[in-house]
Amino acid sequence: MSKGYSDDYDQGYDYTYDDYGSHTGDPSLDEYNRQHFKMPESVKNFLVYFRNNVNEGLIFELQALYEHTWPKLTEDYFEKRPWPEENEVATIVDNDPVFMILYKELYFRHIYARIQGGPSLEQRFNSFYNYCDLFNYILSAEEPVPLELPDLWLWELIDEFVYQFQSFAQYRARLQSKKEQELETLHSNNKVWNVLCVLNVLHSLVDKSNIKQQLEVYASGGDPDSVSGEFGSHSLYKMLGYFSLVGLLRLHSLLGDYYQAIKVLENIEVHKKSQYAHIPACQISTSYYVGFAYMMMRRYSDAIRTFSSILLYIQRTKQLFASKTYQHDQINKQTDQMYHLLAICLVLHPQCIDESIQQTLREKSYHEKMYKMQYGDLQEFESSFTYACPKFLSPYPPPIDSLPGDYSKDAIQHQTQVFMEEVAQQKMLPTIRSYLKLYTTLPLSKLATFMAQNSRTNEASRDLAKEIQSLVIHLLCFKHKMKNVVWSRGASGLEGKFQSGSELDFYIDNDMIHIADTKVAHRYGDFFIRKIVKFEDLNRKLHQLKL
Amino acid sequence: MAEAMKQTVARMLKGIERYNPDNLPTLQRYVEVQSRENSYDLEANLAVLKLYQFNPLSFNVEITCQILLKALTNLPHTDFILCKCLLNDKQLSQEPINQIVYLADILEQCDFQVFWTRIRTLPELTQSITGFVDSIRKFVCHVVGITYQTIERSHLAQLLGDVDDSTLKLWVKKYGWKEVAGNLIFIANQDENIKTKNINEKIDFENVGAIMASCR
Repeated sequence: MSKGYSDDYDQGYDYTYDDYGSHTGDPSLDEYNRQHFKMPESVKNFLVYFRNNVNEGLIFELQALYEHTWPKLTEDYFEKRPWPEENEVATIVDNDPVFMILYKELYFRHIYARIQGGPSLEQRFNSFYNYCDLFNYILSAEEPVPLELPDLWLWELIDEFVYQFQSFAQYRARLQSKKEQELETLHSNNKVWNVLCVLNVLHSLVDKSNIKQQLEVYASGGDPDSVSGEFGSHSLYKMLGYFSLVGLLRLHSLLGDYYQAIKVLENIEVHKKSQYAHIPACQISTSYYVGFAYMMMRRYSDAIRTFSSILLYIQRTKQLFASKTYQHDQINKQTDQMYHLLAICLVLHPQCIDESIQQTLREKSYHEKMYKMQYGDLQEFESSFTYACPKFLSPYPPPIDSLPGDYSKDAIQHQTQVFMEEVAQQKMLPTIRSYLKLYTTLPLSKLATFMAQNSRTNEASRDLAKEIQSLVIHLLCFKHKMKNVVWSRGASGLEGKFQSGSELDFYIDNDMIHIADTKVAHRYGDFFIRKIVKFEDLNRKLHQLKL
Repeated sequence: MAEAMKQTVARMLKGIERYNPDNLPTLQRYVEVQSRENSYDLEANLAVLKLYQFNPLSFNVEITCQILLKALTNLPHTDFILCKCLLNDKQLSQEPINQIVYLADILEQCDFQVFWTRIRTLPELTQSITGFVDSIRKFVCHVVGITYQTIERSHLAQLLGDVDDSTLKLWVKKYGWKEVAGNLIFIANQDENIKTKNINEKIDFENVGAIMASCR
């Protein structure tokens, strides 16, 4: 729901308030707020109505309540304060246990997103226990539970669950501002927000729904209902199962496990329309993590394909999101991150992409960054990477005897370092590429001379043989780094064949380099079509004018 | 043995079972079997590193070294990067893991000469991995195979780690390369695969259909 303001992609601002955490957790202050806030009638009515709709499973009405009324009421009454406490609400809705779990999930989500200072330790714990209640209710039932929720809600529920785990892991790693007692509580409750717990929930939802089998049958053109089983045929289980796969993708990525991240999506073709892929935020998030994992695996072609395809989709459906502001913020941020990642991939692996995506990358901010990276500005690589990467985390807390300090950045630093080592290995390639682009054939000795011009200081001490030798090493490296596994078909995104997908290629025949470039002819058609459409549009408007 | 274990291990990697620390002894033994018998199972090895990530106290330097070296034998695949991403800075800077990280770095840069010199000074580092040197030579041949049309004989021998004449002949034969006049070795006819591409604009009827329709 109203999550956009401090979502995970914004970690820089996310927990800056934690240092003041003790103030908002202050019970006397909370008490004060409670006494001075009377629940408005409209909120009361809303809750009763909301609960009735949940019980009756009126999906369309629920969708509207969830997507519009709740954010609207939040804006009107709860911009800066939590929604009413559990006990206040319980009396209004006859202590309806299922509704109360759902209400509390929304209540905590709102605290995570909107309340200054973020959730207190106690609230983090309680939110976790509430998730346990929810998943126990859904998973331990003998037969499918009589609950139906809009798919968007289900997606945001799973996404939030992983987010709150991530948030807790970061919080736990910030030892510098913790008090004795807080640390004590953390250590004695190490089962809360434990990574295995989170994995277990997601895996259980996947298993319960038979979603893997369903996807397999669906991918081969069959009817997924034939293998869905008792639970998996219910929309609630089926979609929770599907979203849990995406949750696992995200969780594996956050832990730096790119192999599992891609593997978990077996039988899902990321850029293809399917009956499961109708929640834009879920599609976008999926592509972001998949593209990122590919980039880390040096599968640039696959990363570029994944990013361009989703960015194109976002470009075309932009108006759709405009009205839903809370989703909009997150989508915008993730879009910008993906343009950054795409820019990085295209610098490392130049390749033709869709013209309209190219157009965006020509805009000033991206263009400048790409230019700097092309000229070997490592700082630019690093800052683009850290801006655009997921907020990595460590699955376990810092050791008990750790010195006070901030350990929450360790995981990000590590992944950044792995990436930067890759960039460093490729540092000579852009220079070589820029020379090769000018020729169709070029003797090794000549290129070696060019290359040495930059570094040579003393003309007399020149050693051509040595220069050629070091050039050949760079050329071998060029070929090696530009030949990568590319997916073409198959159930798993891990599959693929070695291909050279970059636009410039070459081979060495003894001491001569033969270069093959990709020449793209100017595209006029698109340009003219756009102009014609624009002209017609103008013409039509002129005709409609009444003077 | 590796084949026999593969099934048992595959069961341990299913679903949530993958994170069960009780499986660690078996999985670690499987790593050693792979080293000894020159077989390879990336997924199982990543599962070991994952268990170390979740249970830092079980971290085993010896096994981690073997996993990393095995990842190098699977070059040009990027297995080594996948492994690196699951370890942390502190683990990677430990002896002799840092040595392996260095080897990976120079291999990735295709500086084979430095690699062979280095490996000669550290014979004990890789001796537990059966077929390690030949696996690296395979990687060298892969890179040569995609880069050269013809290559100087002596240069190839050097890239393969200053191999003697008979060894060189063996590798040339294995890859179907040919010795030709002038002390050269013919690798493949690259101009068939590596050609200049021209992407021309194609405008088909569908592209302009809408506009044509509106131009009545």
